[in-house]
Amino acid sequence: MNFELSSDRVTETSPLDETSLLVIILDTNPGQRILRENPHILTQCTDSVIAFANAHLMQKAQNKLAIMACHSKISEFVYPGPGKPLDIRQVDGQYEVFTLVEKTVKQNLMKVLTSETSTVYTESLLAGAIAMALCYIARILRTKTPGLKINSRILTVTGSSDSASQYMNYMNVFFTAQKQSVVIDVCALDQHLSLLQQGCDITSGLYLRIPQIQGLLQYLLWVFLPEPPVRQKLVLPPPVKVDYRAACFCHRELIDVGYVCSVCLSIFCKFSPICTTCQ
Amino acid sequence: MADNGIGTSHQANTALIQASNLECKNLYDYLRTRPSTLLDRLYNHPAICLAVYRELPEIARQYVIRILFVEQPVPQAVVASWCHQSYSKEHSHVCQVLSDLFVWHEAPIPGGLPGWILNSTFKRNLKTALLGGGKPWSMSSALEADNKARDVSFLDGYSAERWECVLHYMVGSQQQEGISADAVRILLHAGLMKRDEDDGSPVITRQGFQFLLLDRQAQVWHFLLQYLDTVEQRGLDLAECLTFLFQLSFSTLGKDYSTEGMSQGLLIFLQHLREFGLVYQRKRKAGRFYPTRLALNITCSQNKGVPVLEEDAPKGYIIVETNYRVYAYTDSNLQVALLGLFTELLYRFPNVVVGIITRESVRQALRGGITAEQIIGYLKQHIHSQMLSGDNKNALPPTVLDQIKLWELERNRLIYSEGVLYSQFLSQADFNALKQYAQQTGCLIWSNKEKRTMVVNKTGHDDVKKFWKRYSKGN
Repeated sequence: MNFELSSDRVTETSPLDETSLLVIILDTNPGQRILRENPHILTQCTDSVIAFANAHLMQKAQNKLAIMACHSKISEFVYPGPGKPLDIRQVDGQYEVFTLVEKTVKQNLMKVLTSETSTVYTESLLAGAIAMALCYIARILRTKTPGLKINSRILTVTGSSDSASQYMNYMNVFFTAQKQSVVIDVCALDQHLSLLQQGCDITSGLYLRIPQIQGLLQYLLWVFLPEPPVRQKLVLPPPVKVDYRAACFCHRELIDVGYVCSVCLSIFCKFSPICTTCQ
Repeated sequence: MADNGIGTSHQANTALIQASNLECKNLYDYLRTRPSTLLDRLYNHPAICLAVYRELPEIARQYVIRILFVEQPVPQAVVASWCHQSYSKEHSHVCQVLSDLFVWHEAPIPGGLPGWILNSTFKRNLKTALLGGGKPWSMSSALEADNKARDVSFLDGYSAERWECVLHYMVGSQQQEGISADAVRILLHAGLMKRDEDDGSPVITRQGFQFLLLDRQAQVWHFLLQYLDTVEQRGLDLAECLTFLFQLSFSTLGKDYSTEGMSQGLLIFLQHLREFGLVYQRKRKAGRFYPTRLALNITCSQNKGVPVLEEDAPKGYIIVETNYRVYAYTDSNLQVALLGLFTELLYRFPNVVVGIITRESVRQALRGGITAEQIIGYLKQHIHSQMLSGDNKNALPPTVLDQIKLWELERNRLIYSEGVLYSQFLSQADFNALKQYAQQTGCLIWSNKEKRTMVVNKTGHDDVKKFWKRYSKGN
């Protein structure tokens, strides 16, 4: 006799009763090339990201969202913002929750941008922002109701250029994310980002460098909206060859061939008899 | 000759049991059976579009969002290419669902290829819900701050009390007051209760017991569907009520909303909802109301038992051990009564009830028309958080679940089907010919070569009889 006894245990893990947590990191550093050329692009990016975030919330009633602004000196959560949520009444036909997201993000983003006073631009602290996002996700996972399954992912939207100076920080957050099974997606607005692409590859996320910024929302909706369990059912951009070059520890430059310390595995571009990391 | 088909029509017991099971429709099933004109009217409101969108299958939601900003029809071949080949079955199912709900319809594209285009009303209003624009929803007029604002815990208490009032009434426990004639009428209409033959007082039915075992959200949704069936008889507009219901389901808990600008019909509808505990109103003419947790996300009923990510959600109280013992940390008479449907209660303390699941107790429940699936669903829904901690996938002991299912299966050893017996064939050749014919037409239920008897199902009987007439004439 063949009883179908284990059938409900299979359905237990169906995507129906899963919640999806999305943390979006928006690079707002005014030092980005595209923003220096045309500051209005930030408005457009913000609008697209908000629309995308709302589309994520629209998918399921249980879906969760957080949005961060990443700057050259600080990274901050703009949604859910610090303190009590705003008291929002509907102004038009938009769903109340979506209006709340839009208003909160714009208000908090304005605070972040106006607090910026220096005119010396340094690179965005993306690795730090991802680390903060991971902490946030870890907190949510710790306080969740037992038995609830949460798929968490981080989407980074940035126009910064690749910088090897944060190499170690990047690698640390990527492997932490992999261990926590958090997917990292990257949407590059301007240049190709080989380090972040490695992160996507490590955490089995998607990397996309968009050809034109006007279509940002459509790219986001097409490629990044499906959550990881759905992605395998859809045809998405195929993974390209990932550039796995490492940065040397002495000059923070990406190298093809280098010297590796046999004790601590530090990488150097020039030979030196004494390893500076472990002596 | 052997043309004396003796009708041995068995009692179609199983069929009857199936028919009397509680039928739980989700939003898709409900809307699919509505006329398209009603759907068109419904899609005029962003709240409905949002609810319908969330109810779509996962892939369908991706399709819709992809073509939301596309103004021309999209070739069907292109849409098909979005989905992996290995999931093509899911793709065709999804296309069917989208067409059923009139979310999209076929439209030829200039090259003559078939294409899909989103229903323009649906598209416009979904965009409004997502991005803004258009008119505000009807209940969001500005209000000055309520000087006696109600917090979430008050609302939760209130709604639980109201709803349990209905459930208590159904199980016939002490509280007979506090439920209106209207609610009773809906319970009767839904077949959850029926009038007793002797004194005409309503008593709970088989479906009623099944209803009690559903989770709260599914109960509310089922109850409302039944209510909506009667809405038109009350002179209310179905589309208007549905729209309001969905607006309510997308409101925020702990916030007050205005009744300003609502039509007379809607105000009546609101009073009904108030009675079931879906909204809280201090006074009938208060001008403001608070939605309660019962009204929120009412359409999510098909993914049952999903724990919500909120701290203040109701907690589970049942612990099941591998030795079939059940501990329920509750002091509610209703919950104890429900548990008593399928367990043998051993001890009762002020805050805990101990029972044991036995073959007899489960069979008693099964005889009452409750299915094993429903028992397990009830246990799962109210499981104590202690049992969910840790990473074990099976919160409930699998051996208990399997045993409950086995106890159900052992009741279904016989399958009843109505049929006609053919016997007393004079020759084996006759029998073979008739059997072969019956087999080909697929109406043969059983046959025995030695005894030259066969049973043909009822629908095929006429056909087989005609064949036999022709066959015997030919010889």
